[in-house]
Amino acid sequence: MARTKSILTEARQIERAVTLIQLGARLQVLESETDLSYERLLRLYKEVAGKSPSKGQLPFSTDWFMTWQPNIHASLFLNIHEYLNKTAELEEIDTVIKAYQLYMEQVQSQGLEPLLSVTRAWRLVKFVDNGMLTMTQCRCCAGHFITHPHEIARHYVCALCNPPARAGKGKMAGALRMDGRETSAAAAASASASA
Amino acid sequence: MNQDQILAEIREANLSYLMLAQSLIRLDMDQALFRLGVSEDTAKMIVSLTPAQLMKVAAGNTLLCRFRMDDDMVWSLLTSHGKSAANESVSRLHASILLAGRHQEAA
Repeated sequence: MARTKSILTEARQIERAVTLIQLGARLQVLESETDLSYERLLRLYKEVAGKSPSKGQLPFSTDWFMTWQPNIHASLFLNIHEYLNKTAELEEIDTVIKAYQLYMEQVQSQGLEPLLSVTRAWRLVKFVDNGMLTMTQCRCCAGHFITHPHEIARHYVCALCNPPARAGKGKMAGALRMDGRETSAAAAASASASA
Repeated sequence: MNQDQILAEIREANLSYLMLAQSLIRLDMDQALFRLGVSEDTAKMIVSLTPAQLMKVAAGNTLLCRFRMDDDMVWSLLTSHGKSAANESVSRLHASILLAGRHQEAA
């Protein structure tokens, strides 16, 4: 990004940084998405969040997105992100912010905890841009889900149509619950098999 | 319901739809495109309507908004047909993912 000393650009960047901090972004996200100096970002962070930013490395693994519940949350976010990407002309980071807000809304309206943090959402978009993760269409429901690249698309069945054995048995508040093992696609498959 | 009532209720529904759409678009154009599932051109058209035009557009015997899920998959997920209520949040999340993936309608 070209460094231009424009007060207007700076105001926009501060506004963007404030939104990101309010959403719970880590300092590294702000550093990479704005031209503001580390010291100013630190001050801004303390002012907005009322505490020092957490330290340490960012979550860097793509494996997290492959586990059952995170995969569902992340797929929802990425679908919204793609939607905005296709329909609206926004800067990359603004697309992430707006998609994340919509994702939070949708998850919270269903009484679930937003499992995906904005930092992870931002990383996810980077992973997809770099080709480390991709979206594959499910054979059963035709929805698009996050997978490793080179997943065999013809045989891919998503984690919702074919949940793993222990899925949805967690006791954590705000987590996804599943009682019966039968899901829509599995039920439809068994119904057509018995018919 | 007699005919006058039907027309009045359709106008009512159209009006509240258009007014909601206008305020959503004014609040945040990009997010409104996702919420409404319309193209940017349509959104710009809706937002530029004056109150008088709004009344005119809303009057008529047809509804202006249409159903966004016209397939069995999403429909059965949303209504959780033939499933226990415990899986409801999973089904709704599944439906949300499917609906969010449909950007062709708004492209």
